[in-house]
Amino acid sequence: MKWQYANNTEEYMNPGHLACPGCGGAYAMRLALKALGKNTIVVIPACCWSIIDGPFPLHCIKVPLYHTAFETAAVVASGIRAALEVKGKRDIEVLAFAGDGGTLDIGIQALSAVCERNDKIIYACYDNEAYMNTGIQRSSATPYGAWTTTTPREDFKKERKKNITEIIAAHRIPYVATASIGFPDDLIVKFKKAKEAKGTAFIHIFAPCPTGWRMAPELMITIAQLAVDCKIFPLYEVFDGVKYVINYQPKNIPVQEYLKLQGRFSHLTEEEIEIIQKEVDFNWELLVKKAKG
Amino acid sequence: MKKLDLKVKDYPELAISWETTLINKTGTWRTFYPKYFPKTPPCNYYCPANENIQKYIALSLKGEFEEAYFTILEKNPFPSITGRVCYHPCEIGCNRGNFDESIAIHAIERFLGDYGINFVESKRKIEKLTFDKKVAIIGSGPAGLSCAYYLLLKGVGVTIFEKESYPGGILFYGIPAYRLPKEIVKREVEKLTKRGAEFIFNKELGKDFSLDDLTKKYDAVFLAIGAQIEQELGVLNEDANGVLMGLDFLKAINLKRKIKYFGKNVLVIGGGNTAIDCARVALRKGAKVKILYRRTKEEMPAIREEVEEALKEGIEILFLTAPSKIIKDKKERVKGLECVKMKLSEEVDESGRRKPIPIKNSNFVIKCDTIIKAIGEKVDLAILPKEIIGKRTVLADEYGKTNIDKIFAGGDCVTGPKTVVEAIAYGRRAAYFILNYLKNFEIPKKESVSLVNYENLNTYYFEKQKRIEEDRLPVNKRKRNFKEIVATLTDQDVKYEAGRCFSCGVCNNCDNCYVFCPDLAVLKKNGEYEILYDYCKGCGVCAHECPRNVISMFFEEEK
Ligand SMILES: Cc1cc2nc3c(=O)[nH]c(=O)nc-3n(C[C@H](O)[C@H](O)[C@H](O)COP(=O)(O)OP(=O)(O)OC[C@H]3O[C@@H](n4cnc5c(N)ncnc54)[C@H](O)[C@@H]3O)c2cc1C
Ligand SMILES: Cc1ncc(C[n+]2csc(CCOP(=O)(O)OP(=O)(O)O)c2C)c(N)n1
Ligand code: SF4
Ligand code: SF4
Ligand code: SF4
Ligand SMILES: [Mg+2]
Repeated sequence: MKWQYANNTEEYMNPGHLACPGCGGAYAMRLALKALGKNTIVVIPACCWSIIDGPFPLHCIKVPLYHTAFETAAVVASGIRAALEVKGKRDIEVLAFAGDGGTLDIGIQALSAVCERNDKIIYACYDNEAYMNTGIQRSSATPYGAWTTTTPREDFKKERKKNITEIIAAHRIPYVATASIGFPDDLIVKFKKAKEAKGTAFIHIFAPCPTGWRMAPELMITIAQLAVDCKIFPLYEVFDGVKYVINYQPKNIPVQEYLKLQGRFSHLTEEEIEIIQKEVDFNWELLVKKAKG
Repeated sequence: MKKLDLKVKDYPELAISWETTLINKTGTWRTFYPKYFPKTPPCNYYCPANENIQKYIALSLKGEFEEAYFTILEKNPFPSITGRVCYHPCEIGCNRGNFDESIAIHAIERFLGDYGINFVESKRKIEKLTFDKKVAIIGSGPAGLSCAYYLLLKGVGVTIFEKESYPGGILFYGIPAYRLPKEIVKREVEKLTKRGAEFIFNKELGKDFSLDDLTKKYDAVFLAIGAQIEQELGVLNEDANGVLMGLDFLKAINLKRKIKYFGKNVLVIGGGNTAIDCARVALRKGAKVKILYRRTKEEMPAIREEVEEALKEGIEILFLTAPSKIIKDKKERVKGLECVKMKLSEEVDESGRRKPIPIKNSNFVIKCDTIIKAIGEKVDLAILPKEIIGKRTVLADEYGKTNIDKIFAGGDCVTGPKTVVEAIAYGRRAAYFILNYLKNFEIPKKESVSLVNYENLNTYYFEKQKRIEEDRLPVNKRKRNFKEIVATLTDQDVKYEAGRCFSCGVCNNCDNCYVFCPDLAVLKKNGEYEILYDYCKGCGVCAHECPRNVISMFFEEEK
């Protein structure tokens, strides 16, 4: 296997950033910028990336980055787009890059509004399935069964993960996609498509957090691949909210293989794992149906 | 960092960074550091000649067959031979075997060997011989030939004494042509004659000359007479007409000599290559053939594929059956063989296999007119001085040094009956040692081994692919002829098969380490990679995602 994108060694991010070792979120940005290039403005709400980019006066990525309030990534991006319009600058991408908390929870109304207006921005959510920056609190992206500091031990999270991709797709924006850092070429292609979209584009990125998931940092990529191959996080696109395309046929590995590598799932019993497997299978069938149309 | 000499009024409304994180040396966070640390692929390790298999497969993938051929020659001068008859233990070691099917290394080796003799040898430079030192070699089997080759490459002249009238030893007159065509042996031997090797045929040690004669005339003598004496069965009437020695029988066929007492109903006794070869040769000579073996199929020392081919050709193998008495008629001719059924006992013999023991009253008679003994060969020690022999073999260290100055030995005569590739490897090691002895040549150091096991690979990046199969002559086209059965692969097939190789432990520029580093700490420049230790946090992703275990993590303190 040869990586398409490795042929171009241009990078839009510097080393020396403040992410933990093996951070999927930091890596996701590297890939996104690789796809979008120099003419990009990034908007970051409160999240790990507020830290990763470096403390004042340091800055890690090689394009402008606005730090904004927790709930405002989408709307600030829209504002920047409006300003660029006024100035007549058309060749600049605006990328809102937010965590799952900032997207599925507190930021969802601003994001929904942007989608409703179909503003020409790319909104990427790097999903590490909890509020990591503030110490691993559960979010609505935390999956059933996971330990977090607010869902400890037997009080592990009992609710299912909110399906943000479907929620955003329901706005019928031109382009919605899921991506995983374990599939860099696929992720990059999706950002390129997002760039071409006639309006809002949303990309939901699966981005493991070794610290919060209680796993070995070297497994960052493997876990992101397993999530896809276990059908927990399928790779697909939704065009105009209606046309579904599955991009990758999972290797159909039991969820157990994915769960057992992460401390946050270590308490699960066989029955609970079975519940997860059933849910995953059900969701997959649903998706396949949608893709068949 | 730029100096801060802004006045309060100069401050922008927004705080704007002016420095990059490059000043932030995150390398200090690290507990473990990654390092490009190439390792030994198991194929290379399990090849008795230590060929750099991974390397020649990688070269073959790029179509660089000539380079690939030379890579083999560094360790084995005769790949056209080993590509055909080697047991290929490399393939048993091959990591791909744990994934789907091992790489068909022997087939690639064979292709490259044939490519070499067809397209490369004619334009190769010939090393000049200096003749200040001369080496005598006794025996022109693979051990002798290989030793000669590596001596010639360094300009040392050799004289090879051979009791037969052809070079090659078992390669020429033992292994039948349908497995190893004579033409191939001849063309491999040309590599020596072209370089000025002198062959003296029909001269036998112990009869026509002695070791002393040679040590007087030569600076060193390499003894490589193999193990060629067929062992006795130790049963009644072994002297009957129609009882043949396995290797003698093959020799006679291969050298087109007439054989007395070769009939229509042949029984071959034994389970090694000699037995299988005798049986298949006898079949081709029009006989009905059965093999008797006292253990089970699993214990047969013959090459597995050859056993399967023999069965396909219609040879019956009676397992757990041993001879007990040869029955002869009044004219002293073999008439039958009385056999006894065996069972495997719990007791383990010297070879590590369960010892077969006879089952009482299980005797029965098989009618036959010819019996071929092929239960193993031994070394002819009677012709050798006491100082250099042990109980069964010549005594020498792994470089061939014996107890007598100037005399070196290697191959089957030292190891007992082994394999072609082991004899070749022995010959090479001995050549280097002799060069060291004669000319202070530095013996190549043994490479340190850090093996890549299957568990060390990240197989996520590999897909299942069928192993290439060589074309084979259909069984019905093999009757009464000695046409070669297995065909050489085409270059397309070789490239396909080479593409299956994982390249265990050796970087093949897949870019994974560069692609996946979340800290941009792996630089890719002109096809090479460099780790920026100033920034690498030691997450280990690069090491983990390297499909072939080239990168290892080390504890920082141990640096
Ligand atoms: C029938 C048969 C089939 C085999 N098939 C395989 C196979 O498929 N694959 C494999 O790896 N191995 C095979 N082997 C084993 C392999 O052939 C030997 O291990 C190998 O040939 C040993 O090499 P060598 O150079 O030590 O000895 P040899 O090949 O036995 O060569 C010894 C040479 O010394 C000569 N010689 C002997 N005595 C004297 C003397 N007194 N004076 C002068 N010259 C003398 C002989 O004529 C011969 O040329 C087979 C063996 C046999 C018998
Ligand atoms: C209004 C508001 N509430 C709370 C916070 C504190 N806060 C900062 S980051 C963060 C968690 C962000 O979680 P997520 O969006 O998932 O990103 P992650 O840290 O996991 O990358 C919180 C709660 C804040 N900055 N603003
Ligand atoms: S896969 Fe290739 S490098 Fe690895 S053991 Fe097999 S032949 Fe050797
Ligand atoms: S992936 Fe990067 S940061 Fe992690 S160990 Fe390798 S070089 Fe260091
Ligand atoms: S990951 Fe690929 S490029 Fe990097 S060391 Fe391993 S084989 Fe070489
Ligand atoms: Mg989060």
